[in-house]
Amino acid sequence: MKVVFSARSATVNLVLVLLLSLFAGDVVAHGERAQLASMRMRTVHWFDLNVAPLKVKVGDIVTVTGKFYTSELWPNQLPSPEDTVYLNIGVPGPTFIKLDASVNEVPMVRSTAFELGKVYEYRIIMRARIPGRYHVHSLLNVKDAGSLVGKGTWVEVEDHSGGPVPFVNEATTLTGETVNLETYGLGDVFVWHVVWIVLGIAYIVYWLARRELFIPRFIRVREMGQDKADEILTKRDFVVSSVFFTLTLAVILGGYLWGENKYPITIPLQTGKVDVVGLTPPTGELDIEVESARYELAGRSLMINAVLTNRSDQAYSIGEFLTANIRFLNSAISGPTTYPEEEMVAFDGLTVTGDSVIPPGASRPVKMVASDALWEQYRMTGLINDPDSRFAGLLFYFDEDGKRYYQEIGGPILPTFF
Amino acid sequence: MSEQSVSTELMSENEVRQRRLDVKSLDNPKAMKLYRRFDGIFILVLFSFLALGVQIQFTLTAGDWDYWIDWRDRRWWPVVAPMTLLMFIGPLAYGLWYRLRLPVVATAVTTLLCLTSWLSRYLNFYEFTYFPMSFVPASTYIGLGILLDCSLIMTRSLIISCIIGGGLFGALVWPLNWPIFAASKVPVEFNGMLLSMADLMGFQYIRTTTPEYLRIIEESTLRTFGGSVTPLTAVFAGLVGIVVYALFLLLGKWINGLDKYAKRIA
Ligand SMILES: [Cu+2]
Repeated sequence: MKVVFSARSATVNLVLVLLLSLFAGDVVAHGERAQLASMRMRTVHWFDLNVAPLKVKVGDIVTVTGKFYTSELWPNQLPSPEDTVYLNIGVPGPTFIKLDASVNEVPMVRSTAFELGKVYEYRIIMRARIPGRYHVHSLLNVKDAGSLVGKGTWVEVEDHSGGPVPFVNEATTLTGETVNLETYGLGDVFVWHVVWIVLGIAYIVYWLARRELFIPRFIRVREMGQDKADEILTKRDFVVSSVFFTLTLAVILGGYLWGENKYPITIPLQTGKVDVVGLTPPTGELDIEVESARYELAGRSLMINAVLTNRSDQAYSIGEFLTANIRFLNSAISGPTTYPEEEMVAFDGLTVTGDSVIPPGASRPVKMVASDALWEQYRMTGLINDPDSRFAGLLFYFDEDGKRYYQEIGGPILPTFF
Repeated sequence: MSEQSVSTELMSENEVRQRRLDVKSLDNPKAMKLYRRFDGIFILVLFSFLALGVQIQFTLTAGDWDYWIDWRDRRWWPVVAPMTLLMFIGPLAYGLWYRLRLPVVATAVTTLLCLTSWLSRYLNFYEFTYFPMSFVPASTYIGLGILLDCSLIMTRSLIISCIIGGGLFGALVWPLNWPIFAASKVPVEFNGMLLSMADLMGFQYIRTTTPEYLRIIEESTLRTFGGSVTPLTAVFAGLVGIVVYALFLLLGKWINGLDKYAKRIA
């Protein structure tokens, strides 16, 4: 799965993919670390990713569900999803087919637009098509901004025990015909191509299979001069060309009528955008004011000083900080859960200094430190090189019943040199 | 036309003698044998150049339009595809007509493009990235090439063949390809939405870096003309074909004139 470059030419892509796989490991090739750190922190916060099942046979269903929050601190220099977005899956080509996709229960056959600062729940149902082991990513293609990739999950697709079974992808047309899309219409395509290739080659052979070709013809035309050069063309040339001309027009017309006859009901390609309404994140009446944020250049941590004001009637405890697809969990709290084989989780990554429980009505300064080797592994330490040093992430907190709330926090961030 | 006589007047005695020898050599079996061997090599070189050249030109300009069955809309693909081909054919057609009176370039280019396209679809799309061939079949332009070449030999005039051949080249792309992808335009219902089979395949067969919105489907002010999109596009594409072909024939003429300067330098 390639990320930043557009798919103009498959050949160019092929070369790039080969180069990437030569110089980089698994992770880079999928784009997890390719983008600027600040961009990964302030675009789409993917969470609750669940891919199941993780081991399937060809033809089996794999369901990808999850949520994402569109950052309100979306970088100005990056085109926003408020224009045009397409929900997609990052796998190497159609190793799976997408059977269905929806966002907030709206079918996502086409492109859409997302408001910033909203939550979107998506569900993609796929069917395994090619055996192999794939890092399956959710991704958003944002118009003019490229692909924004969620984290990946490894899925293994095996052949059937009895050996490879041809993959069949059936669809029923509105005219009531059930066809296999894997080979749909191909027989006719080949026949018509053969007809034309034979005609083309026949014409070329007529002109090139002659005693005098390039050099003799060149000498003769030069000798005759442009005024008389046409005399080199014979009557036979004229007749044969007329026959080819007429035959070609007849075959074009015949082919067209054949197509109209075989497929009398056709429609133009369909396009247009789908509308979907974003959900408001459950903030639970907790106000968070970020006072300052720093990150250690040498170390592996991000420190956030914030004042939390609880306007609700229940106590909250801070359980998780999520940024750039990395989950920093507060191991002192039992709230956050993870999915089987979930990647990019720092189980003991979040330390909350002071009281991590905010009682109802209270307003408290809290110091949160998100620290883990994942910072380095995913090149988040490159923040210093970014043109716009701000951060953003989702802060998850839980009430006494274990119910989850969250909201986005963010602001300027400064490096600390030790 | 008078160019030739002018340049003959300006030729040195040495050159005139050389040319006379060249003509005589055509009666010499040994020389002819040599020429034929050269012709064989030249055909290989020329065809390799044409195949590679048109493949690169077409990839860079028509690209996605011609790769995916769900990109070939009624409005843009029938204009873009012939236009980009005529740009490649024009200068070469001029050269081969002016120097050799050989009207084969358009057919050769379109036939070679078809063959290389199938090769590329098979290797790049089918073998390497798993797309089913039914989603990425090649289009054909061979019929257009034959019409263009034949109109040249029938009229023996670059100008008239530009109007007839160039016009047909643009106008007939759609009917020529209709038997190849009419099937992909059959309607299907999906999630309560009306799609063509091509749209459905575009949704199902995952293309990570070619999202749906990159397609340019029927975007144009011509939409106001209602149902007659295809014939209207054909007329428009025909006119574009004539203009583009004329411009690139002129480019060919200019390139052909360059040998004058080459001689002067020598
Ligand atoms: Cu990956």
